[in-house]
Amino acid sequence: MRILIVDDESLNRFMLLHMLEEAGYPDCFEAETGREALQLAKKIRPDLVLLDVVMPDMDGYEVAPLLKKMAGDIYLPVIFITAMDDQAALTRCLEVGGDDFATKPFDRNILTAKIRAHARTRLLSIRTNKQNRELNYFRKGVEREHAIVEHIFANALTLNPGTKRFFDYRLAPASTFNGDVFLSEPSPSGGLYFLMGDFTGHGLASAVGALPVARAFQAMSRKGLSVSEISQTLNEILLSLLPEDMFFAAVVVEISVSGQQFSVWNGGMPDLAVVTPEGRISKRFISLHMALGILEVDDFEENIEYFNARLGDRLIGYSDGVIELTNAEEQMLGDEAILSWLTSDPAITVEEISHRTEKFRGKAEQLDDITLISYTCQDLSELKSQIEITQLPFTITVELKVEQLIKFTPIYDIVVMVCSQLGMQRVRSDLSTVISELFMNSLDHGILKLDSNIKKSTEGFFEYFKIRNQRLQKLKQGEITISIGYEPQATLLSIKLSDSGDGFDYQRVQSNQESDTYGRGISLIKTLCQSVQYFDEGRSVLAKIKV
Amino acid sequence: MSLDTCLVNGNKDLIIFMEERFDFDKVQEFRDAYLSAPDEVNTITVDLSNTEYMDSSALGMLLNMQKTMVDKISTFKIINCRPQVAKILKISRFDKKFEMN
Repeated sequence: MRILIVDDESLNRFMLLHMLEEAGYPDCFEAETGREALQLAKKIRPDLVLLDVVMPDMDGYEVAPLLKKMAGDIYLPVIFITAMDDQAALTRCLEVGGDDFATKPFDRNILTAKIRAHARTRLLSIRTNKQNRELNYFRKGVEREHAIVEHIFANALTLNPGTKRFFDYRLAPASTFNGDVFLSEPSPSGGLYFLMGDFTGHGLASAVGALPVARAFQAMSRKGLSVSEISQTLNEILLSLLPEDMFFAAVVVEISVSGQQFSVWNGGMPDLAVVTPEGRISKRFISLHMALGILEVDDFEENIEYFNARLGDRLIGYSDGVIELTNAEEQMLGDEAILSWLTSDPAITVEEISHRTEKFRGKAEQLDDITLISYTCQDLSELKSQIEITQLPFTITVELKVEQLIKFTPIYDIVVMVCSQLGMQRVRSDLSTVISELFMNSLDHGILKLDSNIKKSTEGFFEYFKIRNQRLQKLKQGEITISIGYEPQATLLSIKLSDSGDGFDYQRVQSNQESDTYGRGISLIKTLCQSVQYFDEGRSVLAKIKV
Repeated sequence: MSLDTCLVNGNKDLIIFMEERFDFDKVQEFRDAYLSAPDEVNTITVDLSNTEYMDSSALGMLLNMQKTMVDKISTFKIINCRPQVAKILKISRFDKKFEMN
């Protein structure tokens, strides 16, 4: 306990010093003037000041506030010592910042009791101050960590700018971090995917799961995987990552390039609804599955619901934070409320819906994250032009000799090779069909010399494949070369096939009747390709697909 | 390997689930699948939700099924086509021969 005694009279100082020493306070300092007191206080940092009021240079009333200021946040008791006993003078002592006063002549017992009391308060203040500093330090650390995590989330969970404008949406987390997820990516075959989901709970703990989900979803969208494959994979990832009491309710949706065909997987989310411009609910995609991250891989059900909407119809989705929104009277909003807003006002914006939900909530606290999305059916073909396509011209050539022809069909492997190039995924399905058709023609008719007429009857259809197998197993010579080239300028894929067979009269190929079980191949590829040409008496064919 | 099938609607509806590729490789499996239909079946549904591409022999196989089974089966359906597959079926006018959703 360090005490500073400020008095211009040396006798007074001596008396106080003596008295304090006797009372058990040996650590005392003296100052003769106000200025000296301020300088000394700066150096010795007293725990308590005994301050005379009347002094020649600066009086106690001036010194007290300066001492207080110097002490900062920590309580520095200033006790005025004075011979005055009029009310006004004593009141002023307290008004300028003094904490107490002791009148001369001093009563030793009272003075030491006052010093002890103020010392206790100072100790408390020092302790609180230390705790505050620690708290502050901790809070800053947490804030910094949150800022880093927020940054990561903001980067990982951005909506693809290309598909974003097709949605009217609102995300309202209950705290800084959102346990709801809304993502959308263009599909390489045109159209788009979106994922809307809700992790158990809210806040940072439930938001962390969103990171691996977002990355996996974006990667799978880029590959053009089916909705069932995407949900299956997300389930697998979350099963291995999440603790047992945590899971992810989600809808995974693919919207076709026409903008009106939906493929939906719904596990544990509120119904997605299709609303017509007239305000009729034409479809509800109810949750057919358990949420992601619960079922073992073998038990997972990946089946999908499909629906054809009409242009102008709206697909509406929301998280349970919306329907479980509770007002001060503890009533829940419920999904019928939202659907009735949609049916009575089919053009209602998401902003207006959330405005109404806020109004319903009133002063009650928002307990869960809220997500609301709306997509209006429209042509999505412009998304196709935004898909990046490789600038690299490439050629893949495969020469198939007898041993390969007997053993396996190369179509799938070739398609995988081509589609591993940036942007080629969008023609995957057409390319598969075209290569398959051309290859089968070369092999069946060029190499194996099979006659399609066998396929005329239903039994002949199978007979054909039986003979084909027999001839293939006995094949002694023959060769098919498949060469696939890409021209970046024209964005054309050319598929060239040559076989070592006898060729055929391609000018005589005619379209068959609709009921025929064969002879559709060539007309089919003509529709899928930009051009199809035969060369070398039908032994070579060149088909071009526009990418 | 055989294709997944299931009977629904009081064993009256046989659903055949096709795999990723529906082409000539499936001739035998597909035939086995529809020939396995018990007598009470009157509807055959081909589910193409997992099918990424089909070729003309798949079209032939579908027509062949129809021709083979027409005495027994009153309705043939194709469901859950992905857009690319739907395009092939549409080009080939299959929407006229099969009930499609």
